[in-house]
Amino acid sequence: MAEPAYTVVSDSENTAEEKSSSAFPEIAIGIDIGTSQCSVAFWNGSQVELLKNTRNQKMMRSYVTFKDEVPSGGVSNQLSHEHELLSGAAIFNMKRLIGRVDTDPVVHASKSLPFLVQTLDIGVRPFIAALVNNAWRSTTPEEVLAIFLVELRAMAEIQLKRPIRNVVLTIPVSFSRFQLTRIERACAMAGLHVLRLMPEPTAVALLYAQQQQTAHDNMASGSEKIGLIFNMGAGYCDVAVTATAGGVSQIKALAGATIGGEDLLQNMMHHLLPNADTLFSSHGISDIQAMGLLRVATQDAIHKLSFQSSVQIDVDLGNGLKINKVLDQQEFEEVNKTVFEKCESLIIQCLHDAKVQIEDVNDAIVVGGCSYIPKVKDLVLNVSKRKELYKGMNPLEAAVCGAALEGAVASGISDPFGNLDLLTIQVTPLAIGIQADGGKFVPIIARNTTMPARKEMTFTTVQDNQTEALIIVYEGEGHENVRENHLLGYFKIVGIPPAPKGISNINVCLDIDASNVLRVFAGVVQPSSYKLVTPFMEVRMPTVDDGHGWCAEALHRAYGSTTDLVTVKKKI
Amino acid sequence: MSQTLTLVLPTLFLSPENRLNSAPFLKFPSSPSSSSSSNRSRRSSAVKAFTVTERPRVKSTITGSFYDVLRVKHNASQTEIKMAYRNLAKLYHPDVAEDEDDSISDGLDFIEIHNAYATLSDPSARAMYDLSLGNHFQRSPLSSSSSYGFTSSTRRWETDQCW
Repeated sequence: MAEPAYTVVSDSENTAEEKSSSAFPEIAIGIDIGTSQCSVAFWNGSQVELLKNTRNQKMMRSYVTFKDEVPSGGVSNQLSHEHELLSGAAIFNMKRLIGRVDTDPVVHASKSLPFLVQTLDIGVRPFIAALVNNAWRSTTPEEVLAIFLVELRAMAEIQLKRPIRNVVLTIPVSFSRFQLTRIERACAMAGLHVLRLMPEPTAVALLYAQQQQTAHDNMASGSEKIGLIFNMGAGYCDVAVTATAGGVSQIKALAGATIGGEDLLQNMMHHLLPNADTLFSSHGISDIQAMGLLRVATQDAIHKLSFQSSVQIDVDLGNGLKINKVLDQQEFEEVNKTVFEKCESLIIQCLHDAKVQIEDVNDAIVVGGCSYIPKVKDLVLNVSKRKELYKGMNPLEAAVCGAALEGAVASGISDPFGNLDLLTIQVTPLAIGIQADGGKFVPIIARNTTMPARKEMTFTTVQDNQTEALIIVYEGEGHENVRENHLLGYFKIVGIPPAPKGISNINVCLDIDASNVLRVFAGVVQPSSYKLVTPFMEVRMPTVDDGHGWCAEALHRAYGSTTDLVTVKKKI
Repeated sequence: MSQTLTLVLPTLFLSPENRLNSAPFLKFPSSPSSSSSSNRSRRSSAVKAFTVTERPRVKSTITGSFYDVLRVKHNASQTEIKMAYRNLAKLYHPDVAEDEDDSISDGLDFIEIHNAYATLSDPSARAMYDLSLGNHFQRSPLSSSSSYGFTSSTRRWETDQCW
């Protein structure tokens, strides 16, 4: 058996001290790993350029085939036919699955993919496998992404004639911090060092900032432009509102959800074949072929509906199962009504969070693979009350170009014409806080807080002579039930001086630096002097690992009876 | 069996007044592990150990009002405040701040700048803040409830600010 194509670099090594000390700085490249397609871009000294693979493609399919023992990805591999992708040997859509447990609805929806996604529904990582020589060979989303990243890296190194180590990756807004660690893990396996994980619409916002700066000839940094960015790909839908002037892109708000072209596709597949799930549940070879055929035919029909009002579908799934149907745009939009409604609500929420009135938006920018769908364009035009969309960007290349710009800026490259005189002021996409007040989520850093951020809050004991306190840190928006949020980690404060309840002060401080690293500090303070009573705790989060769904439950079992908490009226 | 916490006071240590007056100010200094991470990349900002007195401040503004932090006049327009914020961000944001001068690369100065901007760019928050400064200039007294009425008309900041 061949050696795996990737190496596992330990996490500590990945944050190594080997800072580039060479005379010329290494320029980080930008990578956009999409659910369905990916691309690489770099700053060539005067502008951003996209790399092409040996088949002259700028957009490469995000999949890995496990055919002949040696896995190969969509960068180098030549598909003999689209259907080979659907033979059971090809794994794709990993961006939808990475960092999710098997109770997640997104994982369950992925069971209709033409490879094996098995769930035990107990909160552990799902079992994912490719069909190789009539055997299900297990893999993980991290491994698939790493194999893919190795190929992208090799391609870039050959073309740029230098070793590539530093990268800026784009990520969906709705990714939890745990999912981000999984992406970093995949990069580490591929020997890549992540300089920055950039939410996709903020990468687009940076490109917009650069375009506006150039358009206004570097002057009048007071003339602010507000951009509404809507990015919808195969796996995720993201929205950002940015205020830009003088090359500074100030992100006002972010919103995102796990909805995308994949949902449109699955809805249509169910529409065409309502009992698809039960038909294909055994995952036999013929089932996978039929699933694959239906998938390819449906995808093809959706693509055609972007440019024509109706499409004829004729597909023979085998076993006497045939689909012959004329599908029109209206039907497509009706079947996917809830998806489009969710898109609208994300835009409205983002504008609201940004405290921006729709009339003040200068440009509405629609990017991503779904931007060609007429209904997507229409809904953005409708919500933003305008007649046309921003035209200055290639919808498929905007995010990776922004990532490449960020890569050049982060590498300390300067441009004599000021084209890299750029800055992104990011915000936190999700609130971060701790469990308190009787199982409630108490946010300490709110959603859409500008980064870097440092916020602290003081808590107190609820029992007499309480000497210990559990700090359980969550991320998310579920304020009533803390368990709706993503668990980031937990630790115990000990040595609280015995006192009646409500007297001791426990200070919890959350710090997010500009690289989006979260640290939690907590300690007992004397109310009178604000001096620390004991050494404080410093914990870099997330600390949880796979199967972390269990941790919160176990904590609740062990300590739950004592966690009936009461909110003390806040003083202003 | 006593792992319970209750929320007492929000933002005890980070309220603008405390920051500005350098009130007794609890800080969590960093352990060696966190500062070593600053080697990781030029842009990573480490949490630095310091006390209130040796706390690095935004240059040329030792202590003072939000207006001093942003280096604008008390009657600055919203456009001027935004412009000042952006220009300072380009100098003090950890992504662009130079490494050789550690005092401006830890992100805390940018947090100060942003806090000042966040208050002054919100008309109602600015009104409250101006009152708390002790009325350098004549403004009609606004209760907190009535001033909140302005948040609904955020888009007319530039004209509304001179009430």
